[in-house]
Amino acid sequence: MGRSSYYHPDTIALHSGYVPESDHGARAVPIYQTTSYVFDSVDDASSLFNVEQGGHIYSRISNPTVAVLEQRLAALEGGSGAICTASGMSALFTTFITLCSAGDHIVSSGQIYGSTATLLRHTLKRLGIETTFVSINDQVALEGAIRANTKMVFCESIGNPGLEVANLPQISSIADQHGLPVVVDATFAPPGLCKTIESGANVIVHSATKWIGGHGAAVGGVVIDGGNFDWAASGRFPELTEPYEPFHGIKFWEEFGPNALAMKIRAESMRDIGACMSPNTAFLLLQGIETLNMRMKQHIANTKAMVEWLQSQEQVTWVNHPDLPSNPSNVIARELFPDGAGSMLCFGVIGGRAGGGAFIDSLKLASNLANVGDSRTLVLHPGSTTHSRLTHDAMAAAGISEDLIRVSVGIEGINDIQADFANGLRSAQRAAESQS
Amino acid sequence: MKLLVNGFETHVATGGKEFEKKLPTVLFLHGSGLDHRSWALQTRWFAYNGFGVLAPDFPGHSLSNGAPCTSIEESGKWLSDFLDAVGVEKAHIVGHSQGFLSALELSKLKPTAVKSLTGVGTAAAIPVNPMLIDTAEHSPTKAADMMLQWGFGHQTQMGVSATPGMQPIAIGRQIMRNNPLATDLQCCADYSAGVGAAQLVTAPSAMILADGDKMTPIKAGLAIAEQLEAKLVVLRDYGHMLPIEAPKQVLVALREFILGVEQYECGEVETLGDESKI
Repeated sequence: MGRSSYYHPDTIALHSGYVPESDHGARAVPIYQTTSYVFDSVDDASSLFNVEQGGHIYSRISNPTVAVLEQRLAALEGGSGAICTASGMSALFTTFITLCSAGDHIVSSGQIYGSTATLLRHTLKRLGIETTFVSINDQVALEGAIRANTKMVFCESIGNPGLEVANLPQISSIADQHGLPVVVDATFAPPGLCKTIESGANVIVHSATKWIGGHGAAVGGVVIDGGNFDWAASGRFPELTEPYEPFHGIKFWEEFGPNALAMKIRAESMRDIGACMSPNTAFLLLQGIETLNMRMKQHIANTKAMVEWLQSQEQVTWVNHPDLPSNPSNVIARELFPDGAGSMLCFGVIGGRAGGGAFIDSLKLASNLANVGDSRTLVLHPGSTTHSRLTHDAMAAAGISEDLIRVSVGIEGINDIQADFANGLRSAQRAAESQS
Repeated sequence: MKLLVNGFETHVATGGKEFEKKLPTVLFLHGSGLDHRSWALQTRWFAYNGFGVLAPDFPGHSLSNGAPCTSIEESGKWLSDFLDAVGVEKAHIVGHSQGFLSALELSKLKPTAVKSLTGVGTAAAIPVNPMLIDTAEHSPTKAADMMLQWGFGHQTQMGVSATPGMQPIAIGRQIMRNNPLATDLQCCADYSAGVGAAQLVTAPSAMILADGDKMTPIKAGLAIAEQLEAKLVVLRDYGHMLPIEAPKQVLVALREFILGVEQYECGEVETLGDESKI
């Protein structure tokens, strides 16, 4: 069970990681727009570089504004520490490259974001890291894919865009038997919707660009160390348990224990890869987090209403959301997401690809763009955009059909969203009729 | 490093450098349910600045094998055996909370081994509510939560961390829930010989206390400081978990005191300084 704070999540979202600073008493988190930090003395500098004390050296490694966001996100998820990155993809790359080296292997869900699939299938393969894709809730397939050189089981808590909820307790149980951490991209399940660490995750990754920000004004990512994985008992992670030469032979697990992974990412990946978050971005994301829980309530309420409404429309051929009994992961979705499994839904319209195109092009309120989790309603046709680089078979494995329209339900007035969609559905109908 | 003490493998953190007996030794002792990681941000400085560092996990804690000590007296004896096993005759002893009680017993048992004695967030006695011990026996995680909620001061409760991006409560929780917390707490509750042991201390001493300490209230810490005629440092706005929540301030106080003792012994200074408030 993860827990980093004894305050209510609503309070954590507003306060955690910051108390008004002593010089001026700024109530809002200040933007520390600086690249570097003056050392008290040569000895002070030396001790900072040698991890003899906490503190900031250079904003590629850490920054006070970014640190507030990190501590707030860690507290919201119940993790032992967090590292913010330039984007969700850099958070994923950082995680993979910290835990894996050439010759290692990852078992991944097949139902994942297109760019993540490309990273695993092509970029990491070029670096000598192989990935086996499985249907993540298939216990036999998952266990069968694990090898002696496997370093993690990776999945999305709600798959993009197939909306399959990963059975985290089951996945965790299998991974645990093999001494493997479960790394979960929880972007579609922002903090508060699901107790991801308690459910079995050891590492959480978010694209903070999405619901965490909510405003669509800043790109960022975060890796959260659950602090609940025994890297030594696993026996698979000399990167964390054996001496790390660039830091005088430091052994991260022995010295830092539950935050060994976060410290290793800070010491190595932020130093070497440098995919850091800017303090301005951290400030913008902090503004979003303050209202996260309130927004999610409205996101969920609107999503429930849209699912119900779409099912009643004659131009809609199918609707998919984890809360629907027709979704294959509905049972585990109800268990892990008692208030509702997120605000992403998918549906198909009559007229196939042409109908889908007509629907999207006629929308006035909802925006056709490659993002999700904005407070505004967003739509996309994944087959021609985010997942267009996948083969037909890979698309099918990812749960994507040609007529699939992905909707990120916003928090506008529900009647306005429905009126916009009704107009789009009429256009889809006309497209379908002209085809026939 | 790993060391056999009384037949059981003991994990000893050495501050990131190989332990050298020829250097002045600093022995760091963790508190109830915790381990060597309490001292992560103090041990490295000493190890890299001319000291040999030993920060063991007590038996049955985290990376050490063996059964946990069932009394403070037993833990003092274990410390004596530990120093024999590592071959150290004299050390600066630094104890947090329960670790300080064990240090008092070591001091009674083997006074020549104590070059200086520092208590951090502690007192001569640490009474424990029986309900907390009972909770620790039946639900270690719940007991850890109770202690962490009381143990950390306001800033840490608000998610502020001395190490950027980290959450000390979650870290402490993971460590404490898997360690023999109930046994440790019972040891503290049963121990009443602290004042007597302190009377026998002849080594220079220091107390680093927090004004917001709810586990070992500062009043009790001040009393033992007075008895020991210890150099006193009081940290404002912090709680009981001083080594973790105020690592830099604790390090500054420790190194000033321990370096002062070293200089005093060499005749470089005439006094050990007086109290300070940070």
